[in-house]
Amino acid sequence: MKDPDSEAQLPLPSLARESGAQVIKLPASPNTVTANRPTANKASRRTPARRIRPNKLWYALFLPQLTNLAPSQQKKYLNQLAGHIQSVSSNVSFHPQALACEVRSGLKYFGGIDTIHQKLKKLLEEQLRQWDLDDNFLYAASPTISGSLLLARSGHNALVYRKENLRSALGQLPTDVLHLDREQGRRLHNMGVRYLRDIWRLPSDGVRKRFGSKFVDQLDKALGKAPEPTCNYVPPPAFITSYDLPYELENLDRVLPIVDELLAQLCDFLRRRDLSTSHLILSLLHEKRDSTAVSIGLRQASRSQQHLMLLLETHFSQLSIPAPIIAIKIEVIKFDSFIAESNSLLKEAVPRLSRRNDNSLVQFMEQLQARLGNNHIKFVRSVAQHCPEHASAQLDYNDESNQRNSIGKVKKVSNNPRPLWLLQDPVLLHINKGRLFYRKPIAILSGPERIETHWWSGADVCRDYYVARESSGSRLWIYQEKGSVKKWYLHGIFA
Amino acid sequence: MTIIRNHSDTHFQYQSQYQPSQGNAMHDGGSSDIDELLQDNPALWRGCDMAGQGTTGRSTGFTQLDAILPGRGWPEKGLMEVVTPHWGMGELQLLIPLMRSVVEQGKWILWISPPYLLYAPALVQAGINTEQVLVVKLDTSCKDALWSMEKALQTENCGLVLAWQNWLPTKVLRRLQLAADTGDTLGVLFKHHDSEHSPSPIRLKIGDSYSENAGFNESEVTVIKARGNFRSLSANINLYQQA
Repeated sequence: MKDPDSEAQLPLPSLARESGAQVIKLPASPNTVTANRPTANKASRRTPARRIRPNKLWYALFLPQLTNLAPSQQKKYLNQLAGHIQSVSSNVSFHPQALACEVRSGLKYFGGIDTIHQKLKKLLEEQLRQWDLDDNFLYAASPTISGSLLLARSGHNALVYRKENLRSALGQLPTDVLHLDREQGRRLHNMGVRYLRDIWRLPSDGVRKRFGSKFVDQLDKALGKAPEPTCNYVPPPAFITSYDLPYELENLDRVLPIVDELLAQLCDFLRRRDLSTSHLILSLLHEKRDSTAVSIGLRQASRSQQHLMLLLETHFSQLSIPAPIIAIKIEVIKFDSFIAESNSLLKEAVPRLSRRNDNSLVQFMEQLQARLGNNHIKFVRSVAQHCPEHASAQLDYNDESNQRNSIGKVKKVSNNPRPLWLLQDPVLLHINKGRLFYRKPIAILSGPERIETHWWSGADVCRDYYVARESSGSRLWIYQEKGSVKKWYLHGIFA
Repeated sequence: MTIIRNHSDTHFQYQSQYQPSQGNAMHDGGSSDIDELLQDNPALWRGCDMAGQGTTGRSTGFTQLDAILPGRGWPEKGLMEVVTPHWGMGELQLLIPLMRSVVEQGKWILWISPPYLLYAPALVQAGINTEQVLVVKLDTSCKDALWSMEKALQTENCGLVLAWQNWLPTKVLRRLQLAADTGDTLGVLFKHHDSEHSPSPIRLKIGDSYSENAGFNESEVTVIKARGNFRSLSANINLYQQA
């Protein structure tokens, strides 16, 4: 398919006249203009030839299968599709359930609109199939975005190269494509308007008065009479940097200065884009072996070189490498927007637990986590549960923020005494000469407190709890099973 | 460090073990400057008995114990050893008022490898906000546990670091002591056996009282060593006041 505009490169008379009229007229007297600014006239004479660029060609994709999805989901999908479309066009615009991309600039490179379409079709169908969606989509191309969208929505799959032909192509479309509300649709129908061309036959200010300016504006945009705002796709930031070592290194300490350098680059990158990162991966590449990857997840996004360096150093202290290092690579997995903090003007006014302090605490914990691993640091939370062993939860460091909401803050706990220490598994107590015996004889101080719960599940709990004192002085929390076998168990230590 | 000896008030104080001595009244007028210095500077103490003197400490919440501790309470920073023949002798009850005040300051409490599960409802009952409590699990290696302890002591946001470690070389203790000094943090080490040569500035022992009729609720707390005390003092304390 050939671009008809390529043969008609000569300026069209109507457009030439238009651009001639666009010369800015200065309010000063005509004499001074010509005297002082002789170039202005020359430029205006030259403009017609320059202004006539081949007009744009927008390729629009309409995905009716997205209509039933939630808006946030739609946005996510469109964003990903836009990422694919970027391979053919640098200018991708978002529209409801549709995307439009400018393809004129790439026509020659790709060798025609058909190749572009085939290329996109393959990419998009694959992606849509991955999401378990219908892999068909509607498409059209025309010099205006709204025009392409209307054509695509009508299911015409049309291709219109020139603006002049747009009117006749759009005129055939039924009025349904405008997505009018029912009342307006009915009124248009009653007026005998079936196709878009019928609307153009009506006086436009009258239509505006009766139906509001929304769809009239839309039609104007489709014909290229009104400017079309675009909502452009901005590709997400990506940061990957690597450094090839001049010679192999085995000592991780020697690598640190280079890592520091790379982190400086990263922090610079983040600072310029006003971002911070919460997840990055540092890979140490080896010859003929898989690379060693150090993944650093941050609880609070940061772009402080010092902090990242400290974490990496902590990781390195635990790391052993299988082979000498030949290169280092840093890749950012997750970007976050940077949240700045303001310092107070007066030093005295700083509250005791300022946000800054909080930051250093979080940094300390991240360091702990880097060294010990995630499941070694626990938060304890009390849970509104009657059963003693379920009334306290140990949360992993990372789960803590997720589960904080689900568990909620339990402020009220039982008034009965509870020990600070709970035994993971209750210890069976022996009875020696008629007295309970743990390490030493036990005397009961207070009780019983009956706890009866979980009868609805198989694990029936029915116990009488007592506070007891071992003769050595420690205070114990013991219980007796209420059942056929009345055994005594030690469950906690008051410490 | 200067040790100022004042011989004028050495005699009477040893007579009563549990009462805060009224020794201040014995001072000559000329020593008021010295008193002032002593009040202001915790690094300066009388070479003689300081038990129950001064206000540099943080109240323990037990009056009998305050009376036998120099500075009338726990030190603000440094390392403390609590010796119990086995875990669960009331050593945590002893520290609960301290924990509460640490939490109120907005600082964190780090528990490093406690021998049993920390039970959150008991913390809530004691008035300790569980959001400011962090636990490092028991199966952490000793090296990592000590590393975390040192880091935590250096961090100003941790008000109290509790660790269960039975035997630590002097070098390590010294290192922890330095870390605690930099971070203005109090570190508590729980141990089974007392070592005489430990450099920690304060060592306590919770007694194993065999006699059953000796106060059912009372435990004997002995201050084996405290910077400023010349000899060990002990007090009988009801650790389970709340219970």
